[in-house]
Amino acid sequence: MAATPLKQDYWSYVKRQFSKNKRAVFSAWFVFILMLVAVFADFIANEKPIAFKDKEGWHFPVFKEYGVKLGLTRWPAEWANMRWSQMEFEAAVYAPVPYSPTTQDYNNAQFASPFEEQDVRSARWRHWLGTESLGRDVLSAMVHGTRIAFMVGLVSMSIATLIGVFLGALAGYFGDDRLQVSRISLYLGILFAIPAYFYSFQARAHILSAAIADSFLAFLFQLIISLVIFAGFTGFVWLIGRPFQKSAFLGKKIGLPVDIIVQRIIEILVSIPKLFLIIAIVAIAKPSVMLVMAVIGLTSWTEIARLIRAELLKVRNLEYVEAAHALGFPSWRILLRHAVPNAISPVLIAVAFGIASAILVEGFLSFIGIGIPPEVLTWGKLLSLSRSAPWWFAIAPGFAIFLVVTLFNLLGEGLTDATDPRQKR
Amino acid sequence: MFQYILKRILIFIPTLFVISLITFMLSVNVPGDPVEQILGGGGSAGEIGQSSSRLASERSYIDKRKELGLDLPVFYFSLSNAATPDTLYKVHRKPHKEMLDGLIQQYGNWPQISAYYDAIRQLDLAIADLPADSLNQDARIGMRDEVFKLFNNADANRISNTFGKMDAHMQSAPSMVGLKPEYSALRKAFSEMQEQATPYKNWIPSVHFFGTHNQYHQWITKFMVGDFGISYQDGRPVREAVWTAVSKTLLISFLSIILTYIIAVPIGVMSASRRNSRSDQIITTMLFILYSLPSFWVATLLITFFGGGDFFDWFPTYGLGNDYDSFWVKAHHLVLPLFCWTYGGLAFVSRQMRGAMIGSLSQDYIRTAWAKGLPGSKVLWKHAFKNSLLPIITLFASVFPLAISGSIVLEIIFSIPGMGKLAFDALSARNYPVVYTVVMFSAIVTMAGYLVADICYALVDPRISYSNKK
Repeated sequence: MAATPLKQDYWSYVKRQFSKNKRAVFSAWFVFILMLVAVFADFIANEKPIAFKDKEGWHFPVFKEYGVKLGLTRWPAEWANMRWSQMEFEAAVYAPVPYSPTTQDYNNAQFASPFEEQDVRSARWRHWLGTESLGRDVLSAMVHGTRIAFMVGLVSMSIATLIGVFLGALAGYFGDDRLQVSRISLYLGILFAIPAYFYSFQARAHILSAAIADSFLAFLFQLIISLVIFAGFTGFVWLIGRPFQKSAFLGKKIGLPVDIIVQRIIEILVSIPKLFLIIAIVAIAKPSVMLVMAVIGLTSWTEIARLIRAELLKVRNLEYVEAAHALGFPSWRILLRHAVPNAISPVLIAVAFGIASAILVEGFLSFIGIGIPPEVLTWGKLLSLSRSAPWWFAIAPGFAIFLVVTLFNLLGEGLTDATDPRQKR
Repeated sequence: MFQYILKRILIFIPTLFVISLITFMLSVNVPGDPVEQILGGGGSAGEIGQSSSRLASERSYIDKRKELGLDLPVFYFSLSNAATPDTLYKVHRKPHKEMLDGLIQQYGNWPQISAYYDAIRQLDLAIADLPADSLNQDARIGMRDEVFKLFNNADANRISNTFGKMDAHMQSAPSMVGLKPEYSALRKAFSEMQEQATPYKNWIPSVHFFGTHNQYHQWITKFMVGDFGISYQDGRPVREAVWTAVSKTLLISFLSIILTYIIAVPIGVMSASRRNSRSDQIITTMLFILYSLPSFWVATLLITFFGGGDFFDWFPTYGLGNDYDSFWVKAHHLVLPLFCWTYGGLAFVSRQMRGAMIGSLSQDYIRTAWAKGLPGSKVLWKHAFKNSLLPIITLFASVFPLAISGSIVLEIIFSIPGMGKLAFDALSARNYPVVYTVVMFSAIVTMAGYLVADICYALVDPRISYSNKK
């Protein structure tokens, strides 16, 4: 009867199950829309008109700003200190919210209420969610806050996933005896660990700390250089160890207890209260959004590692992996092509819940005023301002955090149900 | 079983050791000087004072440092480079140490750098002793400020910039001649340092050993016998500070755990037994919303609406009341915090309960129980409920550590002097002894919680056994 036979592979099945769950599908769409808001925040809330016309013709300041940021073009001198909101143009197309999060509307400072009359030219310029004490528009800050919330959620969980999958796969696949190195490599490795650490990190400590004070990207760049130096040492150890591999004693293979090491690292991370650890690390360095993302990512990978490890423990003794072994495929290929894909669905679920909790942590950090630089307005920071503000001020930012957290939790739920064969509907 | 417990406890020891190292290294690297925070900013620019009084303040700084044990090397050994002397830790002030570190990175010749540092200090004292007259007031203060900059600056360009300003100050009043010898000695030390630079020494590794006479050793040995040190902030023993905080946190946590379980378990069981009915759907949705509500938002809203903002002034929003307050006053203080503490856990526990109940209600033995003709309540509570307790027990184990470490978020918002707030305040005030103790304490409790959970598993479910595992 069916015109087209249903695809029977795993992901088509998951997709079908997921699309039956109305709440999950709804939240997936909602998340997609909010992501659009995050990406196009500059076109939704901006004091600069998207396009305006003067004697010289049409100009596109918002696009121009991207060009300036990328270093492609220069900002015209007469635009540098322009009060955009006071300008009269021949014709202009404004963003739906004609305020940037930094624009100060002096006529409506000190918490202009959204429910009362505002000192604005027309409804077009109204502050629909009111203003804060300096006259900055709340709605605009909310729109741009979306970007930070999503960035924090996605970037930090990407970091967590990378670390978690890597360490979890290592521990689960190799266990305590499958990752073998020859004695000579081990001895040389221990011997050279100190100089390798010295030249890649200690001697470059001042460069690294200068970079961390400068910007996160600079730090990342320097960190990669350090890692390259470290990798160089590793390669060197391997090279000078090669001639000795033939010797019966030095060439004997020993298993590295990868699993035990990874398990202990997880135990340590889980034992320190996570929020406290994050606060401690964030307090050391200069406030930056990147840092907050990195720290949340670095402390949230344990769940993912545990899932991957458990999955690989199951998988590594299955026939098809042994067959791949017998066919002579290298370990990393078996890992990536055969073992990891099996563990993807529990990880996806953990990531969905992880994004929700990362956004919550970021909200909390900016609520207590650490980690996020003072000039960046986030939802959490808006909420913290509400302690000395009228009641309506606390509603919008808190609701935004609540909404995003709920959506990602719903997504996680939906994925859990869709990937669980017992939940067949 | 006993062997298993013993093995787990033995594994704790290296883990705790690493945690203590991490905590220690993190706190050492937190910017800020605890001694200066206690003494109230001794080395700031501005006032001039006599050299004797400056020496006295220097003295008190050194004494305080010694008292706190901060004059010792940090760890058993240090890996550094040939340019850095193994006595750098003896330099008193943290900013000075950072400045010297910067100079070492650039020039790598410690004898000359140390001569330069001494020359700055000599000039500093000479300025303090220079007799004031009507003409040199500005120049003296200017010189003092520039010296302060030298103490905190390792950048060659900025140092020569400072020297330029110092030159101007030296010319500006006749009596500044009194500083001439010290000033020219400083200039000479600086140029010698630049000329005889040996930056290559930075690239030669060297390991220094300090033995057991170091900060970490002092702390960990005392910690193991239960001496947690003295809080920097108020001079109280840390044990006392932590004890008061724990008692406050435990009070709220236990009340909220009891409330949570009393409300959550029946809700979970009920909604599972009426699975997919209208009431189940409403309850599930409500619980989901409660579960996702950020606690700091709820707390803010409650304070705004019920704590005397624009609306009702029903509840106090600050602290837990005083010790001498009556029970009802204290209970009054507890209402809002308790609500915030409970609602999230309540949602979580009932969701888990519902899930577990649905799991066990779909088992064959339940069908058998119904088929036997048992009454509904007996099937529900005796056969299904008992078998769905397992996840609830895990939850209890993960709730337990939280009960001790407290909720940093809510304790800050409601100004409750519990563990979370203690930890947060200690961290912001660089109150290391408290930070170490709180972290170690919560780590121990967390690990114990996991152990207890694993033991409970085995007790509840006879299928789980640890003894014949490898």
